[in-house]
Amino acid sequence: MAMEYYAGISDAMRITFVQVMILAIIAIVIFLYGMYINLKKWGLGAEGYGQKPSKGSIFTLPKTLAYQMSEDGHGHKQNIIVTLVLDILLQRRIMRRSPLRWFMHITIFVGWMALFIMSLLMFLVELLHMAHLGIGPEPAVFREFLGPINDLFSYILLTGIIIAIARRLFIPRMREATIAYDSILLGGLTLITVTGFIADGIRNGTFWGFGIEYPYAPPAALFHVIISLLFCIAYIPYSKYIHMIATPLTILANKGGE
Amino acid sequence: MVRDNPSITTENLTAVQLMEIDSCTRCGECVQWCPTYDASGKKPGLAPRDKILRWQEYMKKSYGLRARLFGPKQIPEEEIEQFKEDVYGCTTCAMCATVCESGINTVELWEAMRANLVKRGNGPVGKQSMFVKLIGEYGNPYMSDPKERLSWVPDDVKIEDKADILYFGGCTAELRQKKLAFATARVLNRLDIPFTMLGEDEQCCNSALVRTGQYEIEDIARKSARKNVDGIKAKGATKVLFACAGCYRTALVDWPRLLGEELPFEVIHITEYLDKLIDEGKIDWKQPFDNKTVTYHDPCHLGRHVGVFEPPRKVLRSIPGLNFVEMDRIKDNQRCCGAGGGVKAGIPDLALGVAETRVEDALAKNPDILSSACPFCKRNLCDGRDSVKADNLEVEDIIVLTAEALGIDLSDCEDQAR
Repeated sequence: MAMEYYAGISDAMRITFVQVMILAIIAIVIFLYGMYINLKKWGLGAEGYGQKPSKGSIFTLPKTLAYQMSEDGHGHKQNIIVTLVLDILLQRRIMRRSPLRWFMHITIFVGWMALFIMSLLMFLVELLHMAHLGIGPEPAVFREFLGPINDLFSYILLTGIIIAIARRLFIPRMREATIAYDSILLGGLTLITVTGFIADGIRNGTFWGFGIEYPYAPPAALFHVIISLLFCIAYIPYSKYIHMIATPLTILANKGGE
Repeated sequence: MVRDNPSITTENLTAVQLMEIDSCTRCGECVQWCPTYDASGKKPGLAPRDKILRWQEYMKKSYGLRARLFGPKQIPEEEIEQFKEDVYGCTTCAMCATVCESGINTVELWEAMRANLVKRGNGPVGKQSMFVKLIGEYGNPYMSDPKERLSWVPDDVKIEDKADILYFGGCTAELRQKKLAFATARVLNRLDIPFTMLGEDEQCCNSALVRTGQYEIEDIARKSARKNVDGIKAKGATKVLFACAGCYRTALVDWPRLLGEELPFEVIHITEYLDKLIDEGKIDWKQPFDNKTVTYHDPCHLGRHVGVFEPPRKVLRSIPGLNFVEMDRIKDNQRCCGAGGGVKAGIPDLALGVAETRVEDALAKNPDILSSACPFCKRNLCDGRDSVKADNLEVEDIIVLTAEALGIDLSDCEDQAR
């Protein structure tokens, strides 16, 4: 069956460019407002050791962070490239503590980031195509090209999520320590992933479609897009998802940590 | 509508620290390793993760989205009091920082929270509140006359008026565990290393004030650091030796920050100095031990805080007649003795519980001697040893073992030991 929509922005069936763009803008606005609040909140801290608290400027954190990351900043002198590659991208701090937890987190991280990037690329290709600029590949061709890669990273992400859920369910120490703050993160992630699989399954008629008829494919995709935009973007500053921003910055600030 | 003021302030926390609080992924690694959480019978409030979560909630209630829209939500005073108890139930051993997957500098976070709570009127706890008055009035936390700082110096010890090397004795060695000061001074003399001391002008390093969040009160910590640094400069020293891990860490890390300037001298722990002398072949051991087994406890302030792991081991390994064995938890993974962070003074039972566990760690290796490089560790490990009735276990500082192996007689030392 020929594809009638790709990133979900074509004017096909009930999923429209306008719907998705409005949702995306709303999600981004909610995200930006949340980050503004967080920056204001973090900006209530001092710019350095023993100094008076600041007044909540959104520039206080970047200034403090820049100083702490500098040569004169606190801590050891680990090179920023080493920190970026080993501590942030490869997450060796987690690896040192627990290879299983590292595997879980790296699969979620890699799967999530790859799918996010591919979704952006597909969006861009389709947007260029709709603008009739004559540049970029054909969406159908590009979609076919992304298909196997998309599947691969989807399963990588799913593997991580299954491990995460299993740990929370079957390891008593983890189960007892789990609070709503953790559950919402994992629940949201699971919902996005599962709806993504189902939407794709209905569209392509695969196992993941659970035999649902093709006409339900666009609303399923729209639902997936809505959930993704809300959880992937809008909800980040208000939830445990904030660690996706705060943790790399913390590791950078402390030059890889102690 | 008049809005309430937030229940907490952000005093003493930096912008990065406020962000660090939101970076916690609640992996629980810190909970697994925290010595006071363990020794308390796993009291939930002592878990580092829990403390971070609570401050995160306090920040949300005070400065989050809801607070911006509808005004801050008040935090019950009893809740903050309980939080204070938990934040002070920490030895600042830095184990949580070492294992933190988010790389949070937890020790500085606890110290900042403590300073914040002190300003709020909640902290510190127990006898810790005496530190400010004692250090401010006497220059030491033991209420001793400053003239007593050098009262232990025996006639045979030669201390120069000025020298390139200065031995910073520290309050505990000079006023309580004098055997350590004795040993250090006599070792330096034996090795023909001219050294000077600050004597009655020496001020407490202020580790106790910094660790318990009281360093800004009456500006005592900064003033003391200034007096020490100026005194050391006046003595013409370019190298300052410390035999106390707490003083060493404070001089190395906290003095420059308190003063806002680089120190005009090198800060060296005595084991680092001995390590160098061993390398240069300048140490001639005179009196081997009688085939004793020794193990080494890394003081948190010397090891995890600043990374001095090998020099103490090298000294112990080089002493003839000592068979060095490692405990299971060493170096980065070492278990705290329980005395640091003001816990010994503020919550002695908790400190003892941690010490007992650490002594058990040592006993698992059947040593004759449990050694360390910090008088405060020694004191608490002695208490732990006595508590578990390990009467045959000798707890002794490396510098004392060094002195004995150099054939130095310490029998004339009137050590108050505790």
